[in-house]
Amino acid sequence: MIKQRTLSRPMIGWLIFLGVMLVVGAVIPARWGRLCIMANYSAIFAISWDILCGATGYVSFGHPFIIGVAGYTTAILAKQIGMPLYATMPIGIAAGMGAGMLFFLPGLRLRGNYFCIVTLAAMIIIHQLVVAVRSDLTGGSRGLTAVPALFIGMTPNYYLSFILLFCIALGMWYVLRSDAGMTFNAIRMDEDTVSGLGLSTFRFKLIAFTLSALVGAVGGVFFTHYIASIAPGSIFGMTFMLSMILATLVGGLNTIIGPIIGAYFITFLLGILRPYIMGPPRFVAYALICFGLYIAKSRGIYGIVQDAVNWYRQKKG
Amino acid sequence: MARLLEVKGVTKTFGRLVAINNLSFYVEEGEALGLMGPNGSGKTTLFNTLIGDYLQDSGEIFFREKEISKYSTHERVKMGIARTYQIPRPFYEMTVAENIHVSTVPDKAIASLRRRGHTELEEKLAEDVGLKDHISHYPYELTMGDLRRLELAKALALNPKITLLDEIFAGLTVAEIGEISDLIGKKRDEGLDFIVVSHDLQALAPLVSRVVVINFGKLIDEGSYEEVVNNEEVKQVYFGY
Repeated sequence: MIKQRTLSRPMIGWLIFLGVMLVVGAVIPARWGRLCIMANYSAIFAISWDILCGATGYVSFGHPFIIGVAGYTTAILAKQIGMPLYATMPIGIAAGMGAGMLFFLPGLRLRGNYFCIVTLAAMIIIHQLVVAVRSDLTGGSRGLTAVPALFIGMTPNYYLSFILLFCIALGMWYVLRSDAGMTFNAIRMDEDTVSGLGLSTFRFKLIAFTLSALVGAVGGVFFTHYIASIAPGSIFGMTFMLSMILATLVGGLNTIIGPIIGAYFITFLLGILRPYIMGPPRFVAYALICFGLYIAKSRGIYGIVQDAVNWYRQKKG
Repeated sequence: MARLLEVKGVTKTFGRLVAINNLSFYVEEGEALGLMGPNGSGKTTLFNTLIGDYLQDSGEIFFREKEISKYSTHERVKMGIARTYQIPRPFYEMTVAENIHVSTVPDKAIASLRRRGHTELEEKLAEDVGLKDHISHYPYELTMGDLRRLELAKALALNPKITLLDEIFAGLTVAEIGEISDLIGKKRDEGLDFIVVSHDLQALAPLVSRVVVINFGKLIDEGSYEEVVNNEEVKQVYFGY
């Protein structure tokens, strides 16, 4: 008889995470609270990347495209047209997902590096378009500022970002443990064999992409209304794209929990280094630490924790 | 008897190399067919074409009297054609049970999002092929014989009408060949139709009711095992005398 995997232990973990973070929100100083909010949104973006790239192995350099389209749509509708946020936000999410589908879905029929190139091209094109076309609406290269915010102040924004992160992470964690999640992983390992088992690999890649785009677009919309601004240089820049990939790699690819750990690690690392190392050297130190960690343990911090737990269990007998 | 699978004038080329050359043969319902040929004769290319990994340049392939050339690999598998690979292709980061489980995943978006534990089907299949004690093992912990069993379990999980067994005895010890041969024989007696490729003629002979021999992608003989191994052309291309 095969032992059934029980949900109890992981669910206890999720509940502890929920409880701790709810308490943290009530007691944390504003400076660290703001870092937590940034880490929460970074984690959402990293999970968005992980569900497609970590699980199926289809590496995307164009996730900022989806996030940016969603963010710009809600920002333009809210600020330039004056629509209420309850209308602009769902439209923004739909626009981000729709644009992602339009540009990336044909790319999912491609394999390996070709998909990366398609996604990277989409991001570069949208960056140029936002700057050059209808700058009266998009704000051109300076972007849009004074976009209506959902909430003012650290505490409500902390809880909003955390609840969003928690719901997304739990949902995606569940998906990765479903038959679909198992098939995503099988596609990463050997796509032809998956076809040979009677499964439409395009269908499963489409599921992964849809979920990934949904998470990215939701994150993009809420993040835009948190920082109350959006600019092409920051949203379509390499730094933003690499930070979500780095968070996933440093935390632990294809785990959902890893990107959360990674996002908190890199956000707090930059925050902690700030008083000691100024300017560009801070980013050099940050990069060295992250890549050192990744080279030392390619399964990321999640892998280190897993190994430690296994070692402890073995020691305990 | 009705024809389960029929290949009519199929040609497959790669550039100037003609891998399958105007090949025609059939498999009847309830039949176990052996496919023989020297290395490079086009046996695996033929399997890849039958399953839909390659599209033939010309000719037709019928499955249960339906022309299937326009169907993709996963559609052909759903119709009832399964295969094993010459070099086993397990999912290396999954256990034996999980490897078998992938074969049972519903090819539907919503249904696949539900979480299922290991099912009794996986246990039964693992037991059937002799992998019961290895159900929680990873492929890199298995011998070549067990990897072949896993390939077979994954194919059987699809409940196929016909299974293409590619070099199923390759790389096995004598004892393992005997065990896998017995297993396939048992499955044949339970109603599994198959085409089996093997260079091990001693293992092949008792399993099949008819043999097709190809060389350079062309049919050179077909008939009972005794008939084809006594054919002069087969002797020359296959045995070298």
